[in-house]
Amino acid sequence: MSTGLESFLAAAPWPQQAGLRVLLALMRRPRGAALLARVPSLEQAARSALLLGRYDDPALARTLGWDAAAVVARGRELRRSEGRA
Amino acid sequence: MNADICIVGGGAGGAVAAAELAEGGARVVLLEQGAEHDADNFSARPPEMLARLYRDGGQTLTLGKPPMLLPLGRGIGGTTMINSGTCFRTPAHVLERWTEEFGLELDEETLRPCFERVEQALSVGEVTPELAGANAAVARRGAERLGWSHGYLSRNARGCVGSGVCVFGCPTSAKQHTGITYIPRARAAGAEIVTGADVREIVLERGQTQGVRARLAGGRTLAVRAPRVIVACGAIHTPLLLARSSIGGGSGQLASNLSLHPATAAFALMDEQVDMARGVPQSFYVDEFAAEGIMFEGVAGPPAYAAMSLPLSGERHAQAMANYRHLAQFGLMVSDSSRGQVRSLGGRPLIRYDLAHEDIRKFRTGLARLEELFLAAGAREVYLPLPDGVRPEQARARDLKLMAFHPLGTARADARPSHGVTDGGLAVHGVSGVYVADGSVVPSALGVNPQMTIMALATRLAMRLLDADRLAPLAASGAQPNLES
Repeated sequence: MSTGLESFLAAAPWPQQAGLRVLLALMRRPRGAALLARVPSLEQAARSALLLGRYDDPALARTLGWDAAAVVARGRELRRSEGRA
Repeated sequence: MNADICIVGGGAGGAVAAAELAEGGARVVLLEQGAEHDADNFSARPPEMLARLYRDGGQTLTLGKPPMLLPLGRGIGGTTMINSGTCFRTPAHVLERWTEEFGLELDEETLRPCFERVEQALSVGEVTPELAGANAAVARRGAERLGWSHGYLSRNARGCVGSGVCVFGCPTSAKQHTGITYIPRARAAGAEIVTGADVREIVLERGQTQGVRARLAGGRTLAVRAPRVIVACGAIHTPLLLARSSIGGGSGQLASNLSLHPATAAFALMDEQVDMARGVPQSFYVDEFAAEGIMFEGVAGPPAYAAMSLPLSGERHAQAMANYRHLAQFGLMVSDSSRGQVRSLGGRPLIRYDLAHEDIRKFRTGLARLEELFLAAGAREVYLPLPDGVRPEQARARDLKLMAFHPLGTARADARPSHGVTDGGLAVHGVSGVYVADGSVVPSALGVNPQMTIMALATRLAMRLLDADRLAPLAASGAQPNLES
């Protein structure tokens, strides 16, 4: 699990955090995924969290035209050069 | 600590009140539960920033049909730090309703100086087409072809370069949230700002406020003695603090009347390259159906954000994400007629909110029109947030994939003590010295983003407190603040 996804999960209220961890574990197993498919709302929750982590990967994001590090670097530069907070 | 006024919460309402009051000569202590965030630590990566800047990591949930995520900011700046920066004055028809239905004497003329003051402080201005980006251009093209009313949004930003991550912490500090505008002003005027302070109780004696008690990190207790307390914790947490303190319950309205803006969004696959996260994500609106309670506003974000909200699965999701650079997205927000309530369960808010049939109908209509908007703009495919095979006109509550924004109304203002929690001056009925300055006093849905309304009301409250010369003489007493641990 990516660091970002782990911190996202850790920030959730404990019932949701525990529930999401169980759902994500199920999602990673074929039988678990098949079981989850029967409950669309739960499958949706697990899938969303999984996708949030997967597409946060810098290498994958760069192939889609998004470079978070470059956005941050530009922001830092602007803040320093213009004396922003 | 001793103060003339203790303010609980450093978001839209609290920060504004703190600066205005401190600059007016009052001794102010502001207590904020969260942290003060440094833009140097913003990463533009959604999961990490959700965890850091949002309450509950952005996973605050409403229970009901359907359940919805309700994103709330936590820390200095509150939700203004993680919102899209959209600025609307309170619509005139809403103010008229407040006068007629709730006895509030708040017309456009009364509030104009407050709005002007806030707009100046926040550098509010309209987004330019260049900065709005290609995602807005898609919606604009659709609206123009259909002849629908539309425009560029006004925002509180200065020197924005369109980083595309307003809701994940602005990396250029262009967004003028209250944490970098009003809070520095408050500090410069002598206000004490304490972070990590979880206010547990407002202390009353014979109906008069004595101050507050808060918990600090490590279990220490902080007591602030003040003859006036302004509660500004937001519409979810303010009613819980008031209820814990046995304040504001006389009308039976406390923690009820929760109004939200339930919202959803559709994606479209376009021929042109959109790069939705380049430009201001929320820069354009279509208000053709605002009178029906349906508002379209721009929404967009980096791949991680888009992947999470794209309403497809399996191979179709992967294919659509492979075309991320050609995806456009636009949001649909409903001015609700549903009402929910907030309760405390084990010290945490339990938010109950069921979507009324009338609001489901608005979503059916809105989704059909959103599809029409994208098709008119030339979309190759439109991805609506509905299960496979469900058309907008068939959608039931459980079919809708919604989020909720802008909680309001849980300590609503009403001139009559039997009908509201605060009066028109935002003083809590039935006690002396307790005021509310956040979205919880807003007595009805606004139909537009509420931050300006909240800030204008907080400005008015501060001006009235200063103007009435009602501040206790603590400022002249020479008493020094002291931490009690």
